[in-house]
Amino acid sequence: MLKSITKEDFFTRVGELSNDFEIIGPMELPLKGIFYQSILNTEDLYLGDGFAIEPIKKFFLEPSTRLLRYPWKNEPGVESFSPPERERIAIGVRPCEAKGLVLLDSVFDPPASSDLIPNSAPGAGKKSSNRAGSTYQDAFYTNNRKRTIIVGLACGRPDRCCFCTSLGVSPAGTTGMDVLLFEIEGGFAIEIITDRGKGIFGALGKELSEEEKKLLTSVNNKREDLLEKKIRVPESMDTIFTSDYWDKVSRSCISCGICTYLCPTCHCFDLIDERRIKLRCYDGCSFPHFTLHASGENPRPTKKERYRQRVFHKFDYFKINFGENLCVGCGRCIRFCPVKIDIGDIVDKAPLSKKR
Amino acid sequence: MKNIYLPHVVEIVDVQEETPDVKTFKLKFRDNVVEESFDYRPGQFVELSVFGEGEAPFCFSNSPTRRNVIECSVKRMGQVTEALHEMDTGDTVGIRGPYGNGFPLEDLKGKNLLFVAGGIGLAPLRSLINYCLDNRKDYKTLTIVNGARTSKDLMYRNEYPVWEKAKDTSLHLTVDCQEENWTCMVGVVPKVLEQIKPTCGNSVAIVCGPPIMIKFTMPTLLKLGFCEDAIITTLEMKMKCGLGQCGRCNIGHLYVCKDGPVFSYSQLKDKNFQF
Amino acid sequence: MNVELRKKAKELLKTKQVEMIIGYQRGPDGISATPVFITREEEAENLIWDVYCVYNLSNYLKDFPGKKIGIIAKECDVRSIIVLLQENQLKRDDIFIIGVECSGVIAEHTLASGKESPGELDFDEKCKACRPSTPRLYDYLVSQKDQKDKGVLPEENPYQDIRKFEAKSIEERFKFWQEEFSRCIRCYACRQICPMCYCPRCVADQTMPTWFSRAPDLEGNLAWNVIRAFHLAGRCIDCGECERACPVGIPLREVNKKIEKDIKELFDYEAGAGVDQKPLLSCFDQNDPEDFIR
Repeated sequence: MLKSITKEDFFTRVGELSNDFEIIGPMELPLKGIFYQSILNTEDLYLGDGFAIEPIKKFFLEPSTRLLRYPWKNEPGVESFSPPERERIAIGVRPCEAKGLVLLDSVFDPPASSDLIPNSAPGAGKKSSNRAGSTYQDAFYTNNRKRTIIVGLACGRPDRCCFCTSLGVSPAGTTGMDVLLFEIEGGFAIEIITDRGKGIFGALGKELSEEEKKLLTSVNNKREDLLEKKIRVPESMDTIFTSDYWDKVSRSCISCGICTYLCPTCHCFDLIDERRIKLRCYDGCSFPHFTLHASGENPRPTKKERYRQRVFHKFDYFKINFGENLCVGCGRCIRFCPVKIDIGDIVDKAPLSKKR
Repeated sequence: MKNIYLPHVVEIVDVQEETPDVKTFKLKFRDNVVEESFDYRPGQFVELSVFGEGEAPFCFSNSPTRRNVIECSVKRMGQVTEALHEMDTGDTVGIRGPYGNGFPLEDLKGKNLLFVAGGIGLAPLRSLINYCLDNRKDYKTLTIVNGARTSKDLMYRNEYPVWEKAKDTSLHLTVDCQEENWTCMVGVVPKVLEQIKPTCGNSVAIVCGPPIMIKFTMPTLLKLGFCEDAIITTLEMKMKCGLGQCGRCNIGHLYVCKDGPVFSYSQLKDKNFQF
Repeated sequence: MNVELRKKAKELLKTKQVEMIIGYQRGPDGISATPVFITREEEAENLIWDVYCVYNLSNYLKDFPGKKIGIIAKECDVRSIIVLLQENQLKRDDIFIIGVECSGVIAEHTLASGKESPGELDFDEKCKACRPSTPRLYDYLVSQKDQKDKGVLPEENPYQDIRKFEAKSIEERFKFWQEEFSRCIRCYACRQICPMCYCPRCVADQTMPTWFSRAPDLEGNLAWNVIRAFHLAGRCIDCGECERACPVGIPLREVNKKIEKDIKELFDYEAGAGVDQKPLLSCFDQNDPEDFIR
């Protein structure tokens, strides 16, 4: 369903909805950038061309989640933190980020499937099935997904780091969205995608006229052309695992966590016990201690192995396990890399013909 | 929805000192219902938590066929194991699991089994050896090669007389260097294997030990005539969640915690050992 | 000057005076620069030096212990090399410094915003406080005759902003930093990009014991950033890399600058001034002010 709505009506409706829902959306902090935050005043909502620094991921797989509370000595029981219940609407989510959430679902909220019963993996002597996917549903992530309606915003001005179209994402893509907004003269065109979306915005606005529809289609058709960066994504990278290419491309890496923490699809984490609480915090394959054993042994001892892991997880392993690339081309890791390592360029130029 | 991180509370009912830096903890569930329903296979593992210190993965070192407690052998290494070693009977810890695939028990039926263990690597194999002894008719000969740096580092010494006496079962103990009063074999595990020359016909070799031992044992086994599918090993990697989600224990696209920890040599070779 | 730079680099590699040269090359976007590591003569053709060469490459020296390394360095980079030499992290004989004259580098956010027009260059804040354009230490100098006048003029009073901030009440200052540090995501880019952060096991990664919360909440973030600032006292040479790397725009230079100012006033010490000066915190002077002990 496509409708048009004035900005004023839209913001008024968001104001009404804030009585029943927590509103999450981008907010511009002067000189700092755009941040997804809990929005208390609808006028703080930034629905312009700029992109948030951190992806919407942080409201689903949080930077730190409290999982358990431990008893003090001689006290009974370990307690589980109960996931929050308040329903939320995330406004201004970009198509790449929404697609990122759908990819995270396959890890943290996998579909219940009869052939995926925990602990019934085939014998090690046999070849295991290709799908090594997760079989455990994470209550915290799943709850965050269930309680959040996603209202997307189509991209009007991709920047020079964006390369979503190379990964099957469109600047006006609807994957993972309940509602998608398009900025038009005087307001928004609003596409209702799911019943949940209909529930909050269904009664709003007027049908788009044929002429307006045509105009929107022609604008949408041009959106993809605005992306300058296009990369070739190989089916598999298996043949270049041992290549010294990885040494070359990882040399300037400083082993910080920017690319992984700001990635809409990176999801590696650490479990930490602190002050008798178990926390789940972001972790990243770029950090040297990520795979460091207590014995001092480290299977990924240098930047070469660690950077290769990042590329292979995204463009090889995840594809074997879940059939898709674990990258949505949002460009954050390129935009914010302190030494401008460009994963798109690295994947594009990977010397695939080289033998193992 | 269930919190997958919520552990079962277990009480330490006994602590055995195996070697100067390894202790075996016997754990009993606080909740009888859990105790009844908790089931596992040799080769699987649990995430054992010392509340407030953290969690670490440990394999079951006793066989599910003779269990009224759960046994885990722990080498003093890092934050969690350090804290565990300070604990005593009556203290409580948490376990969640079982995780991982475990040994392919069905595939091993009717086979001659060669167990190759180094140091604390005997822990998961002890679980399997005792499982096989309790289902003796399902398996043919059992050959156990157990090595350690010194005789002090040999694990589960009270099991040896039983294993030696069992039907069609042989035990070969070895230490790296000659010691006073040592009457068994001397030399690293691959060397000893070359001396024993275990039969490769209708056989499966099950290897567990430090990475360096696994590395040098594999070629020796191939040389002795074992085919790549007939060599299986259980691997150790840094793990946090045990659920295939935290992203650090993968070898290629396979997660050691979920798709392993038991792998065949051919599986690892296929994956080009992509750590 | 790129011609001269490349010629020198080739010569150094050819004569085997160095095994590798760490320098700058043009990035895949065609505008910005990226670090490059050169071991073959022909690769020297990629070397560049211009206002886009923002990085302090001395951070990479620790990656190649025992190797003879040539490094392209501007004045601020050289000051950090000096501190590394003072602290025995480098051997002088292992490095060959190709000094470059610098009249300021650009402020990267003008690039990153995607709204850039490469003609309107905006110089980085750190360059406004920087005095000389010729490095104080080098083995070979590539001079920049043609561009000298384009550079920024050093500020008269480099600590003016700090003084303004100091004039505010403690509550106001604390509130400011709470707001800033609340955004910290604990990616540790500030640490990783810092040439002075070379601890083999950072206090933030230690678990036996854990010194402060590893969760990215205000309490842990404050602890982390304050501890890092203290560890840099008397060592930070204001290359500004931490602030540039920070993805969430925390003004980290202001923290370090404040400590720099206090140290200048209390001990008349400037980090990275010269190889022969003793590191401030590892030497004792009877005339040191002792107010903090009394």
